[in-house]
Amino acid sequence: MSDLIFLFTMLTAAAGAGVLGAILGLGGGILLVPVLTLFFGVSLPYAMGASILSVIATSCGAAAGHLASGLANIRLGLFLALATVAGALTGAALVGVVPPRALQMLFGLALAYSAFTTIRQLRVELPESLAADPLAQRFSLEGVYYDRVLGRDVAYQAVHVGRGAAVMFGAGLLSGLLGIGSGAFKVLAMDTLMRLPMKVSTATSNFMIGLTAAASAGVYFGRGDIHPMIATPVALGVLLGSYGGTRLIGHLRNTTVRALFLPIVLYLAGAMLLRGLGVLR
Amino acid sequence: MSGAERVVSRILLAGGLLAVALMLAGLLQLEVRATRTAHPLDVAHAAANRAAGRSVDVFVSLAQIGRGLSGWPPSPAAVIATGIVVLLATPAAAVLAALAAFAGAGDRRYVAICAALVVALACGFFLNLGG
Repeated sequence: MSDLIFLFTMLTAAAGAGVLGAILGLGGGILLVPVLTLFFGVSLPYAMGASILSVIATSCGAAAGHLASGLANIRLGLFLALATVAGALTGAALVGVVPPRALQMLFGLALAYSAFTTIRQLRVELPESLAADPLAQRFSLEGVYYDRVLGRDVAYQAVHVGRGAAVMFGAGLLSGLLGIGSGAFKVLAMDTLMRLPMKVSTATSNFMIGLTAAASAGVYFGRGDIHPMIATPVALGVLLGSYGGTRLIGHLRNTTVRALFLPIVLYLAGAMLLRGLGVLR
Repeated sequence: MSGAERVVSRILLAGGLLAVALMLAGLLQLEVRATRTAHPLDVAHAAANRAAGRSVDVFVSLAQIGRGLSGWPPSPAAVIATGIVVLLATPAAAVLAALAAFAGAGDRRYVAICAALVVALACGFFLNLGG
């Protein structure tokens, strides 16, 4: 395969990952790493380096679009990112102290339960209005967005904020300890626990994942794992795809986004449980 | 859209676009050099393993990038690395801009949250990137 064809197909694959990432609130690593290693034959360290860069590129493209459209809640994102980044730094400090397999089992079970909750909510377009959480009121975590599908403004407020922040800390802990992305945990905590509309959850997650990834991306750069010839098509494709994806999400129902998200949760729950049991490496 | 949302949205998009523009410029420069010297880049081979990947300069610190940019023409790999660093720094720059916007609006709670995030991100960024 000539250089140009190789670079162009990689850019196209990255753009696809960017579109999905912008809709599902994920960095795209879960999609990009298998594609880069299996289809393009990229070595795993370079694929991981490209993946962490793609998380930041997805966040830049998607969050820029989601913030402009009012779908991402900047206060909510910053408030919860504080818990995630604190968790990531704690996790990095605990490498070698906490047994990773026990943690993978714990989070695998949490994800399996979340998948069950997600299945029960598959037909729920918007969460029922609950009493405002005092912490949400103090930190102004409420919001409103225009839903193009419903044709009206949708007002929302966060509940169980303390528990949501605790899950975010746990998600960060997992990122720091295992070096994996945690966008799925962020979306699940906001959707199922904090009772936010699904599209607000994925859009706000898109803003947060860039902050979490930026805290640890320097490690990959310092190791030389962000290779210039792989990073360039991946970053360009993901940035364009994710910005385009923000236009697409406006035309989707919350229930559609949740249905697209469910297979990712099931896959992650299964993979994490199998790793925790020592079946997968 | 509040002031903070507007400015953060613009910084994220501008940072992302500037980063990919630099990366693309560096990659084109690499391609042109490869065509002139009749030595194709063989991206697929370089991507396949780390030993082959070292056939292209990979800059891993700010000091190295600085040296790569100081000559003329600047090293293509250093131009790409500059784009990568711009991308890595963009989320922190967005939080810094949000801090300024919240400070302007007199929202002290979010000024404190943004300040804590900027400190955490700056620590991670500079500790890992080194000199």
